[in-house]
Amino acid sequence: MSGDAHPALPADHPCWRRDDPAAFEAAALAFLSAGLAAGEQVWYVTERDAAAVESWLRAVPGFDDALRSGAARVVPLGGTYVEDRVADVAAQVRAYAEATGAALAAGHTGLRVVAEATGLVRTPAQRRAFTRYEHLIDRYMRTHPFSAMCVYDPAVLGEQAVAELACLHPGGNAEGVLFRLYAADRGRAGLAGELDQSTHDLFALALDRADPRPVDGRLVIEASHLRFVDHRSLLLLRDHARRQGAVAVLRAAGPGVARLVALLDLPDLRVEVVG
Amino acid sequence: MRTGAAAGHHGYFHEAVCYRSAEELLAVAVPFLLDGVAAGEPSVVSFGERNADLLRRALPADSGVLFLAGGDVYARPTGAIRRYREMLAGYVAGGAGQIRIIGELPAWALGVTWDWWARYESAINHAYDEFPLWSLCAYDLRTTPGAVLDDVARTHPRHLTPDGRHVPSPTYTEPMTYLRENRPVLPDPLQAAPPQVELTDPTAAQARAAVHAADRGVLPVDDVENLVVAVSETVTNALRHGRPTVRLRLWVGPDRMVATVSDGGDGPKDPFAGLIPAGDGAEGGLGLWITHQSCNHVTAHRGPGGYTLRLTVGNPHFAA
Repeated sequence: MSGDAHPALPADHPCWRRDDPAAFEAAALAFLSAGLAAGEQVWYVTERDAAAVESWLRAVPGFDDALRSGAARVVPLGGTYVEDRVADVAAQVRAYAEATGAALAAGHTGLRVVAEATGLVRTPAQRRAFTRYEHLIDRYMRTHPFSAMCVYDPAVLGEQAVAELACLHPGGNAEGVLFRLYAADRGRAGLAGELDQSTHDLFALALDRADPRPVDGRLVIEASHLRFVDHRSLLLLRDHARRQGAVAVLRAAGPGVARLVALLDLPDLRVEVVG
Repeated sequence: MRTGAAAGHHGYFHEAVCYRSAEELLAVAVPFLLDGVAAGEPSVVSFGERNADLLRRALPADSGVLFLAGGDVYARPTGAIRRYREMLAGYVAGGAGQIRIIGELPAWALGVTWDWWARYESAINHAYDEFPLWSLCAYDLRTTPGAVLDDVARTHPRHLTPDGRHVPSPTYTEPMTYLRENRPVLPDPLQAAPPQVELTDPTAAQARAAVHAADRGVLPVDDVENLVVAVSETVTNALRHGRPTVRLRLWVGPDRMVATVSDGGDGPKDPFAGLIPAGDGAEGGLGLWITHQSCNHVTAHRGPGGYTLRLTVGNPHFAA
């Protein structure tokens, strides 16, 4: 299924949990190589020693020339994300928007980034701001030629922190995270995967941080990739919409979701069937 | 103002009518309905096709008696409770002083799925008690099994006899007591074989995946999705409210899928759980209600080993 009725999940914003360094390197290089092949500028944003990363990258076929020409760059983490910018999430989005504009002005087709971002989200306060940023940058990516693989280290951050971050990406390798809250088409939020009792608290947190907003009294959520949702999660969504004076509408939800919504028969919760 | 035998009664006036012939059924049904119409009370028939025709022929043309279409209302006990409650609330909002309903369960409800209809007959003493309802539940003595009739006597406070007497049922048992009992349940023949899947302490996600994996494509997708929902809710309840060890077993037959979910606990404290939605989803009651709405048969069993729910989608009417 493709086309407007059931758009595919976006592939431009994967979240990568780095458990296995070799698997991560392979995934990161594949991500960046695809960018180079498409004429994009690619950045490897690292919190490690930039010179060491650059010499590693030079040994990878294709990257030596790209680094020489400026099509590929190794960027120290501090040069991209500034601590006060992390608190000011809109400024951080603007920074990548400007960088994307500069890449386009330099003749590239877009900007693609692998970002080792563990150092930015060590404290709960940092995570609160950064998860909000993750959703805003996710929205930016849907309408601009910018893509990013966000890399987090579970050994440093712990499972809960990684889950808080991963659930706000439309893809990646954090398979233990059951659901995704992502930016869908037309400025809507989308839900993918499975929502149940075990994800209840994480979903509440993600909703609070992404804070999807209604338009004309309807909070439309793209649900064509939502495989399962329980009544508790539906009530969370309904409550989020209700706080903003809106009804929650699950667009293109599957028959199982539609049937549950019909059973619950709540005035502020609907399913919109898409042909 | 209520008229007839229920005059002066507060709440639900629940009677069984056990008849031996069409004449005996008509002898009570016709005056029950016509007296209701004459008193301006909504008078409703919820019969299968055969007895509905019988009644239509016996009633005058344009009698004012309302016939509910088909037997859909009795697809599932929980759905029937919901639909009747909505209907009753509508009549009361419209100013009805009493509503009269005569109904009969489809013949298939008196077979291997009778246990959950017996629970229905008991639970409605409570579920309809906020309405000025007088209902007659008709059972044909020629075809209704004796064990079912015993349950009818225990779940109906009184009988209306063919000669018009309203007789208290000596074995009537309050729902709070009746619903805490184990109902006799026949093992599904599929359960004689080892289950296709057995999971110990699964997460709800693992339980859902197991149902999807066990699906061989013989059932409609909606049936499989319904079992996914039911198993997910039941495992979630077992993990949250039950005690270890939680076990999921799955059997797949040519026309149905059967799952059992057990835990070491005592099951829900609310005897109406599953039949009537409880609260706004905060407790397990709504999950069990959704489970009852999603399956074509749900049985519950409490024992020394814990609490087990058996969930069936597809055709639950196996040959016993």
